[in-house]
Amino acid sequence: MLSFVLVIIGVITAYFGSRYQLRLVYSAYVNLLVVLGLQVFMGNARITNLSHSAFMGIGAYAAAICVTPQNIKALSLPNAPWGLNAFSFDPLTSALIAIAITGTIALLVGFLIVRLTGIGATIVSLAFLVIIHALFLYRTDIFKGNQAFFGIPQVFSLTSVVILAALVVFGVRIFRECRWGVALRASADDEVGAVSMGVDMYRLRLIAWVLSGMLLAVAGIAYAYFLGTISARPFYFNHVFLTLAMLIFGGMRTVTGAVLGTFLISLGLEMVRWLETGPVIMGIDLPEALGLSGIALGAVIVFTMALRPSGIMGENEIEDLVLKN
Amino acid sequence: MEYVVQQIMNALAFGAEYALLALGLAIVFSIMGLVNFAHGEMIAVGGYTMVAVSALALQNPLIIIGAAILVAMIASVTLERVAFRPVRYADPTTGLLTAFGVSMILQNLFLLLVSPRPIAVTSLYFLEWSIELGTLRISSLQLFETIATVAVILLLMFFLKRTLLGIAMRAASLDFEMVRLSGVKANRVFAIAFMISGLLAGIACVFIMARRGSVDPHLGFDPVLKAFVACVVGGFGSLPGAVLGGFLLGAVEVAMLVMLPQSLGGMTDAFVFGIIAVLLIWRPDGILAPRTEKGDKQ
Repeated sequence: MLSFVLVIIGVITAYFGSRYQLRLVYSAYVNLLVVLGLQVFMGNARITNLSHSAFMGIGAYAAAICVTPQNIKALSLPNAPWGLNAFSFDPLTSALIAIAITGTIALLVGFLIVRLTGIGATIVSLAFLVIIHALFLYRTDIFKGNQAFFGIPQVFSLTSVVILAALVVFGVRIFRECRWGVALRASADDEVGAVSMGVDMYRLRLIAWVLSGMLLAVAGIAYAYFLGTISARPFYFNHVFLTLAMLIFGGMRTVTGAVLGTFLISLGLEMVRWLETGPVIMGIDLPEALGLSGIALGAVIVFTMALRPSGIMGENEIEDLVLKN
Repeated sequence: MEYVVQQIMNALAFGAEYALLALGLAIVFSIMGLVNFAHGEMIAVGGYTMVAVSALALQNPLIIIGAAILVAMIASVTLERVAFRPVRYADPTTGLLTAFGVSMILQNLFLLLVSPRPIAVTSLYFLEWSIELGTLRISSLQLFETIATVAVILLLMFFLKRTLLGIAMRAASLDFEMVRLSGVKANRVFAIAFMISGLLAGIACVFIMARRGSVDPHLGFDPVLKAFVACVVGGFGSLPGAVLGGFLLGAVEVAMLVMLPQSLGGMTDAFVFGIIAVLLIWRPDGILAPRTEKGDKQ
């Protein structure tokens, strides 16, 4: 488990040489946080969740509203209701408030989600994503819709997000192996069997759901604190698909899979994006191909599902591979 | 009075569209447990076919409509062969994610090969005129939509209850192994299910296009999302449930459009989904879900 964290830190130090890729790597780490948050619920309860970007958005906006200084908010949100533009906190307090808010919302939604059977839960989570996005777009007086919400202090650097990611990897892994995680995975494998052994499935799912929501809020906060501006657009379908592909490709049942998938897809996608702009390879001038990255992502999902439905890692964590051989 | 009748017509037309799509989803789900997220792309395929056919200077609207429906059916069956066969007996989550991937690929193919911008299709505007019945004014398109949906549902019922393949399909949703043992080819059952699903998407496509008048790569997404919600409300995999859910959703949506003040216009969908969510607290498995005990043979 610890080796795992070390691997990550090794990767970063390797990356520190090339500073121009800083933003790229940062977004990969934020996505890693998202994928980990997703894994907590999807991987353990085996219910596909499509609302994760909404929770990330809630976290990001809540933190942004709390942390942005009053004078900037007076400018950007002149008509905000409930005196939202009349206060500001320091980054840590804001982050905690944002996590608490997201956790509460996750709890309320969770009461509904955990009672539904597999497919129903997925569709309702999708509906939730649409609701939240509509809310972001509609309440321009609070969220500024598709325009940029600016003036968030940029308190995060790559180092801080890497430390955060390492901590979260650790935490998610512990959750997977702890009493709750094991019981939850058992209930996903055999619902009747697990319940008859005294597993309170709904409560466990709710715990995983809320935890997942809070981790997603952390990801959203990390995103907002680094970029300094946010808008509603990144918290919608494209991002949902992207992170979902990452988790599936790596293997959603394990934490190792989540990490591996995130890095492989981030890397692969960057290459496809380069192809998309129409580069010249060996004298052949390739045309611009908008939408290629989407096709690639879709293809990754389809082929993973057709050839290896449990992802690259399957049921194995990294220790299983390293220690047994 | 006229106002009320008009709104009821609105609700019926909305509901008809959702019911058509929801039926297409439910028929595939009931047989192979696949949540077909790529269903919306069938609508877009139909829409682009309309563009192509009218570009070939075939302005006869019947040809355009026929071609759109036909291509949607062919596309649906092709998808079954190419993409969904490997995951046929996999668990629903695998199927759902595959369908997601397929949907992404298709959407981006439209983006790449056709255009990210909407393309206008004007040849279906003739469907829309207003009928005056005494003091009532009704849109013909809504009338057509409701009638077509009722007709399709009746035809489908006839097919499922009276023909051999239909009976085989209903049996397949209960116990597929047994159906195969009785000598019905599995491939044929799947192909028919997808063909019907494509047909329903094609018909829905005609009405959606007649109303919107343009096609873009994400055309099918919104209606299919609604259709999914309709399926969940009605009980996933239950055909009557899909129809009921579709019309219920249409009614709720129109009620919201009528009752919400203008200033909350952008929030209609949010309210609709909110109400549906409350409904699901009452019946978590949907209103007409088949009653199975957990642990029964699926």
